[in-house]
Amino acid sequence: MTTTGFRPHATIGGVPLHAMLVPFPIVCFTGALLADIAYYNSGGQVQWANFAEWLLAFGELFGAVAALFGLIDLLRTPRGARPTAAWFHFAGSATLLTLGLFNNLVHSRDGWTGIVPMGLTLSVLTVIALVVTGFLGHRLAYVHQRGARS
Amino acid sequence: MKRARLLMALGATLLASACSKPQFPAEEQYGANPRLPEPQQYLFPPMGIANPVGFKANETPNVPSGFAIKAFARNLHAPRRVLPLANGDVLVVESGGPGFEPVLRPKNIVYKIVIGKAHSPVKPGNRVLLLRDTNGDGVADQTFVLVAKLTSPFGITTIGNTLYVAATNAIWRYPFTPGATSVGTGSIVTALPGGPIDHHWTKDLVASPDGSKLYVGIGSNSNIVEGGLEAEHNRAAIWEVDPANGAHRLFASGLRNPNGLSFRPGSNTLYAVVNERDEIGNNLVPDYLTSVKEGGHYGWPWSYYGQHIDIRVHPQRPEMVAKAISPDYALGPHVAALGVAFSSGALMPAAFQGGAFVGEHGSWDRTVYNGYEVVYVPFAGDRPTGKPVPFVTGFIDAKSGDARGRPVGVAMDRQGALLVADDVGHAIWRVTPVTGVGIKTTATR
Repeated sequence: MTTTGFRPHATIGGVPLHAMLVPFPIVCFTGALLADIAYYNSGGQVQWANFAEWLLAFGELFGAVAALFGLIDLLRTPRGARPTAAWFHFAGSATLLTLGLFNNLVHSRDGWTGIVPMGLTLSVLTVIALVVTGFLGHRLAYVHQRGARS
Repeated sequence: MKRARLLMALGATLLASACSKPQFPAEEQYGANPRLPEPQQYLFPPMGIANPVGFKANETPNVPSGFAIKAFARNLHAPRRVLPLANGDVLVVESGGPGFEPVLRPKNIVYKIVIGKAHSPVKPGNRVLLLRDTNGDGVADQTFVLVAKLTSPFGITTIGNTLYVAATNAIWRYPFTPGATSVGTGSIVTALPGGPIDHHWTKDLVASPDGSKLYVGIGSNSNIVEGGLEAEHNRAAIWEVDPANGAHRLFASGLRNPNGLSFRPGSNTLYAVVNERDEIGNNLVPDYLTSVKEGGHYGWPWSYYGQHIDIRVHPQRPEMVAKAISPDYALGPHVAALGVAFSSGALMPAAFQGGAFVGEHGSWDRTVYNGYEVVYVPFAGDRPTGKPVPFVTGFIDAKSGDARGRPVGVAMDRQGALLVADDVGHAIWRVTPVTGVGIKTTATR
């Protein structure tokens, strides 16, 4: 009876889909923040706004798909084996995607106020949520799963 | 899962509350002194698209009691401009957008789909037709193609024996003798700012009363410089062009999307209708009719309706805002005015003399439709005054909310009847007073 622990269930060849996809939102949302900062510093060079918008759109899309597989992993784990950290990771991810959705809409505004100040602020908050959620996710992958196996 | 549902519900509530309610009605946004509401910023900008269905064979738009309307021509291919000639022939420009605009932002994909829904499925002709009514019954019975395969033509005018057509990227001239049913070989007068974006692509054209100059309206390349100021070089302006050699200069600037270029009869005053900016309110900014002063700056992009600053533009330019001229007359928010015809000739009754008919294509950037009609703007002396009077209406089907037509260009024909080009009904409508019937002129707005 070795499979009662917390293990990913949505996998391809034993590799969890969640883990395969999470780098996309991490890179995209971080990149969007950098693009926003560049937009602000350049006094409104349009290319940075466009970069930020595409990064936010793909970050949100891949983030949502990654979250779906993460949720499958969590719900397929027997109730008693779900670590508390997984719930925090879940709450953090939901916050992250909500912020990301708002940020996509704010960035779709035309001109300077699509980014300054609201869009840039949301990008900062998104990345903060990303750091917290990412840390919890890594704990789930490297601490809880290892613990369950041993 | 409970927590998930709670979060989703919270998100939905936040989203819903963030979408502000439309401010209606728009009564104060008309006339010489409109009262403008405060600008808003949206997560979901207001939109409302009328499904283009066209008029059935037995249907026409509505006109006030005392007038009659019938189709001068039907089954055209997106007619947008109409130019009656002195000999009774009528030139019609059929056109559609060039499709130059690239997808640069995720938003462009959404907007292409949304705005695409407002256009008729009929493929635009992109050509100039000559329509002839040989028996004088107010219906064209002969059609000739004068110029074909143009790149999104719009403006059209004649000076003497030369026909000028403004395609979206150049003004063309053609030798043309009135009465003829074909034109000579065309040549380019001057290139105009066209691609690669060409957001507002309609280039309207008019000749000065003495025939010495051409004036061409060149719309902005964006809603509010979201493509950068570099993309707006020589745009959002009216150019003055020498028809002989193509030399040109900026005649007036800060006009976001100027169309309906017309000289008021008996004057040397150029008028235009201007489509103002989107996404700061259902009732902002009113589109307007204005006389255009030489060298005048009308605000775009830094300010709207005179000196109301648009905070979306960075850096702001207070010295340009200080120069911005307040336009003469508000036509109402997002009506998309595209055509102007000063009432001339003896046919129209006194209540419709001296003012201007304005073709309003209709809104897409507003929750509730506005425009979709031809209005009459009365003038007192040399200034527009009062409220616009709905004149040709019923383009939106009252039951279904679908668009049976969308008026664009308007003109007075040789007899003094009003011609209306309709690029969804694919018709040229002709409006005449009915003799012996009392004319009601009460404004119903």
